[in-house]
Amino acid sequence: MTMKARLRVAADIGGTFTDIALIRWDETIATRKVPSTPDDYGRGVVSGIMELLQAEGLSVQDVGEVMHACTVATNVILEGKGARTALITTAGFRDVLEMRRIRVPRLYEPLYCKPPPLSPRRLRLEVGERVDFRGNVLVPLDEASVLRALDTLDRENVEAVAVCLLHSYANDFHERRIGEMIAARFPDMFVSLSVDVLPEMREYERTSTTVINSYVGPPVRGYLASLTAQLADAGLPSRFFMMHSAGGIVAATSVVARPAQIVECGPAAGVLGALRTMVEAGHLDVISFDMGGTTAKASLIEKGALVRTDDYEVGGGISISSKLAKGGGYALKLPVIDISEVGAGGGSIVWMDPAGGLKVGPHSAGASPGPACYGRGGTEPTVTDANVVLGFLNPKALAGGSVPIEAQRSVEALCRVVATPLGMDMDRAAHGVHQLVSTIMTRAVKSVTTFRGRDPREFAMIAFGGNGGIHAISLARALGIRTVYVPPGAGVFSALGLLYADIETSKSAAFLKRLDEDCTVALTGFYAMLLDRVRAELARPVGALMIERAADLRYVGQAFEITIPFSAEGALDDRARRGLRQRFESEYERIYGYRLAETAVEIVTLRLTARVPKGNRKLPGYVFPQSTPATTRDVYFGPEFGRVATMVVGREALTAKPGPGPMIIEEYEGTTIVPPDCHVRVDDHANIVITLP
Amino acid sequence: MKTFDPIRLEVLKNAFDTIADEMALILMRAAYSPIVRDSMDFSTALCDAFGQTLAQGVTTPMHLGSFYDAMRHLLSHYEGNIFEGDVFIGNDPYAAAGQHLPDIYIIQPIFFDGRLVAWTTTLAHHADVGGIVPGSNALGATEIYQEGIRLPFLKLYERGARNASIWDILMLNVRVPSLVAGDLFAQMAACHAGQRSFVDLLERYGADEVLSYAEELHNYAERLTRAEIAQFPDGTFAFTDYLDGLGKNPVPIPITLAVSIRGDELEVDFTGTSAQVKGGVNTPLPFTKAAVFTALRSVMKSDIPNCRGFERAIRVQAPLGTVVNSVHPAPCGARGITGYRIIDAMLGALSIPLPDRVTADGMGGASVPAFGGWHDGKPFVFSETVMGTWGGAPTHDGQVGVPHMGANQANIPVEMIETNYPLRIVRYEIVPDSGGAGRYRGGNAFVREYEFLGDEAVLTLRSDKHDFPPYGLFGGKAGSGPVSVLRQKEGHEVTLPVLVTEPYVMKKGDVFRHRSPAGGGYGDALDRPEGMVLDDVLDGLISEAHAAEAFGVVIEAGHVNHAATAVRRDAMKCRSPACDS
Repeated sequence: MTMKARLRVAADIGGTFTDIALIRWDETIATRKVPSTPDDYGRGVVSGIMELLQAEGLSVQDVGEVMHACTVATNVILEGKGARTALITTAGFRDVLEMRRIRVPRLYEPLYCKPPPLSPRRLRLEVGERVDFRGNVLVPLDEASVLRALDTLDRENVEAVAVCLLHSYANDFHERRIGEMIAARFPDMFVSLSVDVLPEMREYERTSTTVINSYVGPPVRGYLASLTAQLADAGLPSRFFMMHSAGGIVAATSVVARPAQIVECGPAAGVLGALRTMVEAGHLDVISFDMGGTTAKASLIEKGALVRTDDYEVGGGISISSKLAKGGGYALKLPVIDISEVGAGGGSIVWMDPAGGLKVGPHSAGASPGPACYGRGGTEPTVTDANVVLGFLNPKALAGGSVPIEAQRSVEALCRVVATPLGMDMDRAAHGVHQLVSTIMTRAVKSVTTFRGRDPREFAMIAFGGNGGIHAISLARALGIRTVYVPPGAGVFSALGLLYADIETSKSAAFLKRLDEDCTVALTGFYAMLLDRVRAELARPVGALMIERAADLRYVGQAFEITIPFSAEGALDDRARRGLRQRFESEYERIYGYRLAETAVEIVTLRLTARVPKGNRKLPGYVFPQSTPATTRDVYFGPEFGRVATMVVGREALTAKPGPGPMIIEEYEGTTIVPPDCHVRVDDHANIVITLP
Repeated sequence: MKTFDPIRLEVLKNAFDTIADEMALILMRAAYSPIVRDSMDFSTALCDAFGQTLAQGVTTPMHLGSFYDAMRHLLSHYEGNIFEGDVFIGNDPYAAAGQHLPDIYIIQPIFFDGRLVAWTTTLAHHADVGGIVPGSNALGATEIYQEGIRLPFLKLYERGARNASIWDILMLNVRVPSLVAGDLFAQMAACHAGQRSFVDLLERYGADEVLSYAEELHNYAERLTRAEIAQFPDGTFAFTDYLDGLGKNPVPIPITLAVSIRGDELEVDFTGTSAQVKGGVNTPLPFTKAAVFTALRSVMKSDIPNCRGFERAIRVQAPLGTVVNSVHPAPCGARGITGYRIIDAMLGALSIPLPDRVTADGMGGASVPAFGGWHDGKPFVFSETVMGTWGGAPTHDGQVGVPHMGANQANIPVEMIETNYPLRIVRYEIVPDSGGAGRYRGGNAFVREYEFLGDEAVLTLRSDKHDFPPYGLFGGKAGSGPVSVLRQKEGHEVTLPVLVTEPYVMKKGDVFRHRSPAGGGYGDALDRPEGMVLDDVLDGLISEAHAAEAFGVVIEAGHVNHAATAVRRDAMKCRSPACDS
């Protein structure tokens, strides 16, 4: 038997559907969408993989690697269904978790209610001890107080424990000792020490992150154990990999120790897919745009790399990248891909305020009852209804005929709520809604571009998600973007992203020193320590890893840092640190428009990322579905064009030579709109490429 | 008359909001002083050519609507003398319609095709502007001349060239020039970003089109505001709240107001409010108006644009020479606390017609301890805004760990304070039994305790609500007042007044403890379900004794004694005034 390379299979669980993707022997992709199984998500994953293998005539022995992303950790937090979690902390500070950083996400709201702490006050236990910011022990650990806390764990049937002591990043001795004492008495208890989860300064953020880790720990552990067993039962590899929120892949076994790192892994997979697709297409500066039923997400790819942040909250609802409106969720200070999200999707409801202002969202009709045109009881007009009226969407059925559409219901709803009260004709009203959605989404894109000193006109766009192709051009127009890609498999794009991921992990450590201080030796020591930790986690020798180093820098006296990557080799001596300062200042000037040459720069946090290189993996090819006959329908593209007879085709009908709009490309996974003044072609990787005038 | 497309209006409104928020984000990230970057004590706005606010960044509510008065002032002085590349600076409450001296305006005109079309404006609270105390918030000041450097509106840049004289005078008069300079640069960076984005908008839609819609935005906001007011019950609703008063022998300072609602008109009249005082708590009228706007906006349900049109439906009457409309030379460094109290009094008045839209009273704004002195041969100044607790609400308990509605500020991490200052935070925790009892309990107080590790420092404090603790509503009890104690190493304990006018000396090892006021209760405590009282006991938020005394719920060994509770609650009801009949 010839040794064939084994297949990589990916499964991404969403709220409604689980998406499966694999790369065939001939380097083409195959995908499948199956319903998610919320009572036991693993069942849907395994049966979906089996269905796809069967459909492709493959067997379980052909599968080499399983890649996975899921919303289990996020849902646990959103639904408040995590473990019964205790917090052990320094005496006098058990309310740090509840007081938070004070700021609330909504102004002018006296009736606002904070999210309840993930560890209730009765389970927040104090121990006698105190360490100062240099790591000196001021008060030794009072072990009797720890034993009393352990009695409470027992009495209260606690399922998980977080340990976070003041200044533990400077001296971990007390936390580790408490960890030992818990393990000795409760060997099966899920325990997170803050020094393992996030050894960085700022007690609320560190405590919150550690508590999240414990809160989601037991459910994630249970889910992974169940999935491992089901994969094994089906004859699939039981050792599988998971995406983490920063866009890398880690072994599922190492997720168990730090489950907080997978909270945002689903959207991360989509952005990673966008990165690989666009780099292959020759675009290094890209805005990724993902629009589904309830939200639209934007993220930036710059110089061929993802942009990450650790300024993040989980469960905070929809905010403008949550930068100005903080406090609505739970602080999670681990690296995530910087994604900004707004409440605008196909299901967003259109309404009118008391002064006759037209509004879209953030309320969504969701999948049930859904838009009025679904005929499932929804009576309020939605964005999808406007798109049906305009002719953008098929007036008979969506998703290859599986979702029937009653266009008349869209017309009625939009007429009642918008056209009649505003005295407009239906086309203008529907087009207005479409425009308004673009305006709202423009905000999401601006918060990752102009808000950070980037000009969106210098970027190409890639659009995916069920509604990405319908709204991409209006959005691109509003931002001055000239080129838009709609990749194949846009409806299962997160699963595709998983196929492209590299095994990767990153670690950080607090390190507060001025760049002009002599700290060469200390820096070398810290990076060696970080390297040890990633090597241990990835279980590979250093020689097999690609290492990236970075440091968070700021002007002395400021509170916001900028992450600056630098070479993986060599000591950070005086000269290297001067270079670092230069790069920090250029980036600073780019964002804020000036620099402060007289002011000292300090290091706040050191970061190290290690990746297992996979060699030069090519982007898989795409097999076009059987061609469908072209049809024509009248479509309204705005007052300057009016209603235009528009050809409706499949992706296979496009050519490499740009053709003029108007055109609509209808596929099982979504619809792409090409207005009359744009051109469209298909590239070598089956991407639809639209150019604006 | 031009007809306006409601869709284009919404599109441009979003664009204006985005510009103001972008400016806010740039300013916050580039800022230097903790009070700007952590407390977010700043605001950004986009104004039309006439200085009317088109959009204001989502930062400090108590600055809402404050730009218009300053802009009117600026325009009246510089009409015909405004050029591309100018940058204006100003801070004086009387000569520049400012707020208080630490709040410095940086304002930049936007030109398009040679025409003045709009303004980007910013306001930031600077770490120091001179005067008799570090931080320039002297409660003991008796005239504004003691509070720091006063700037009418001046051109910091003229046609792109910096006016070195102004810059040098300013830098010489502040204690921390590097912080002030850094924050001024941050303000200019924000103005610059706003200008760039607004010009983009004009290029896309055409200047005349955008500007005509800007005018329509005001009309739209006014319509929306009037529609809200029309739904409020008509009538006149009066309320008085108090500042405890200054120093060791405080004299109460009443804030008296009446909210009159007639159809879609609303007027707030401050007749009866205290005359201005010899201490830094006087507020110039623009700030009083901003506090009124904040309170009104918070009881309106619609998402009204933060623009000038919102203000047109509201009239504010305040007699000259009162603490809410002070005249030269009244000092106003600590006028923030009066702003908080105006909001509290407004919400007290609005609780009468709109009981479901307000909470009982909260802690009344941040307590602000300030420590200044020398350590390791260098000067240091540390002050922070310590917050916060709200009163019980119509449907839930008072929140703890929240800012006053007037200022959405953050706390400073304990680990950051200990790393950067000669201070150790000994405890930071919730105080049981302190929230006012009620169907919905007031939020508990919390305590923050500071040990001084340096050689010598002076301590001042701005706080309130000791003599007039946070009020309850509809039968709810008041929350407890604040406690501020300086425990000297030798064991003496000194209780501080709420508004410290003469600083206290701290030596190494001395500990300052501040316990905040607690929120008032909402509704009758005897109606609070037993299970909620039990949960509070299990969470250590109230003691078993307090459960019995204040709520009539008898808890023994972690369980409710239902029979004993029924008896106790009956007895308590018959002692209440409602039982007399």
